[in-house]
Amino acid sequence: MRNRKRVGWHRYINGVIISTVVTVLFILIPLYWLIASSLKAPLSVGNSPPSYGPTPFSFANYKNAFVGYDFGIYFRNSIIVTLATTALVLILGTLAGYALGRLPMRGKFTTLVVLLIISVFPAVAVLAPLYLLMRDIGWLNSYQGLILPYTAFNLPFAIWILRNYMLGIPKEMEETGRIDGAGALRTVWTIILPQALPGLFTAGIFCFTACWTEFLMALTFNNSNNFRTIPVGIADFGGNFQVPYGTIFAASVVATVPIGILVFIFRKFVVSGLTSGAVKG
Amino acid sequence: MTAISSASGQSAAGQVRPVVPPVPRPDINRKRLARMGWGFSAPALVVIAAVTIFPIVYSVIMSLNNVTVTGSGFSLDGFTFSNYNLLVHASLWRDALFFTVYYTVVTVIVELVLGTCIALVLERLVAGRGYMMALLLLPWSMITVINAELWAYIYNGTYGVADAILSALGLGHPVILGTPTPAIIGLMIADIWKTTPFVAIIVLAGLVMLPGDVYEAAEMDGASGWYTFWRITLPLLRPTIALAVMFRVLQAFGLFDLPYVMTGGGPGTSTQSLAILAFNALFKNLSFGPGAAVATSTAVLVLLGCLASLRVFRVQVGQEGN
Repeated sequence: MRNRKRVGWHRYINGVIISTVVTVLFILIPLYWLIASSLKAPLSVGNSPPSYGPTPFSFANYKNAFVGYDFGIYFRNSIIVTLATTALVLILGTLAGYALGRLPMRGKFTTLVVLLIISVFPAVAVLAPLYLLMRDIGWLNSYQGLILPYTAFNLPFAIWILRNYMLGIPKEMEETGRIDGAGALRTVWTIILPQALPGLFTAGIFCFTACWTEFLMALTFNNSNNFRTIPVGIADFGGNFQVPYGTIFAASVVATVPIGILVFIFRKFVVSGLTSGAVKG
Repeated sequence: MTAISSASGQSAAGQVRPVVPPVPRPDINRKRLARMGWGFSAPALVVIAAVTIFPIVYSVIMSLNNVTVTGSGFSLDGFTFSNYNLLVHASLWRDALFFTVYYTVVTVIVELVLGTCIALVLERLVAGRGYMMALLLLPWSMITVINAELWAYIYNGTYGVADAILSALGLGHPVILGTPTPAIIGLMIADIWKTTPFVAIIVLAGLVMLPGDVYEAAEMDGASGWYTFWRITLPLLRPTIALAVMFRVLQAFGLFDLPYVMTGGGPGTSTQSLAILAFNALFKNLSFGPGAAVATSTAVLVLLGCLASLRVFRVQVGQEGN
């Protein structure tokens, strides 16, 4: 056994515990600073030297983010784009993942490797042509102008994850469906899908996170105030001379809470996604 | 209704011909299933191709043309290699490439070492590992723009907490984001804070899956902790680490959000990554030809990286037991 039994005070104070505490502090201190600063009065965010607690305590920054700035609009846009993309990715990804995982197709291997390469391709490589295309068809500053590229960039990873789960489903289950006379789509829906549910959670949470945090394409395609998503909105809060950090941090906290809760609930699936061989940042 | 008609049809067929096996021949079935497979994959593959493959090809074409921006759009005015010529001879591109590579190498190494340390500690943690995992995932799931704003505030010269701490330690008031080297270090720290936990989770998952009997044997032989780590744990972890490194490196070539928000590529051009250079050329200077050339060069570098590590890909595909 690698883990020896610890006795006496070593049970409470030892290298493992100390290192764990250091790790926790390493992660939490910047987050604490984000939250504490967001809860200060707007002007005292710029105090020098800074006060180390949220004093004077105030919710003014939160109010300012929604009233003084249009953070509510950005939040709504992020929700719409993220949810629509995730739904599309899961539907298209399930069908493709099922086919590439379980059906006898020639060129399956090549397709999968190409998908893997595409999933690490830098978005900047497609930026200019996509921008020109979207301008020509009038998709700049629209929801579909982000949903379509987000879907395309998140599909390869989703297909991989779902395919891996589909591979693990016993063949007999599928054949039962076929003997019962169910059509192909119905087999996927009633027999395969429930089995692949963990894969759907994993693919879904990764897609959600990627859409929620994406910046480059959102900045390029949707820069009008009515269609900005959260990252672009937060980056643009700053004026020319004064950066309203209080407002930025209040908006940041509001933007981090939903994704934080989701990741906490689905942490098992995130970890399994990170480690099922397909690693993505 | 359908059942009756199909039954009567079968009996009619039976009168004319001797008994045929009711199941279609396997290879016909295979063909049908393959067609169905492509049908199922088609929507996804079409979307992916439309948004990634065609634009990449178009990017390459654009980079090989004289692009003139006109009032209503732009036009391609004949083949030229001048965009790439410009690239190779411009110090901007070389500097951006150097910065991107340098930044990638340092952050990936630090993240890997720190992440492995954290993973080794967490593996020995008996209680609360699930909560630690959730905590580690928090920086990973955060919007990079927020990370950038937070650290820019921390590094701020007048009211930043880093300045207050450094001057309290008697280190004076260094200008962090306004001087090249400290700005680069500042960016790296922000990146390391966000990504180390992610690396730790991957390594931890690799650690948990290692076979236990090897360690029992090592302990019986009286191997020290260090020896066990260097000679057993690390070699066994190599596939996990290789895959993580590969994805991190490829991903880092697209580095944009953090320096764009935190330093804007400055001071000067000292933190200008390839992606920022391409973005500025395309959308700030509207020089589509050179911009496309920068973007294409980034894509080619990533593609070369992919080809170089195709063996890792193959191992991965193979592992799933196709």
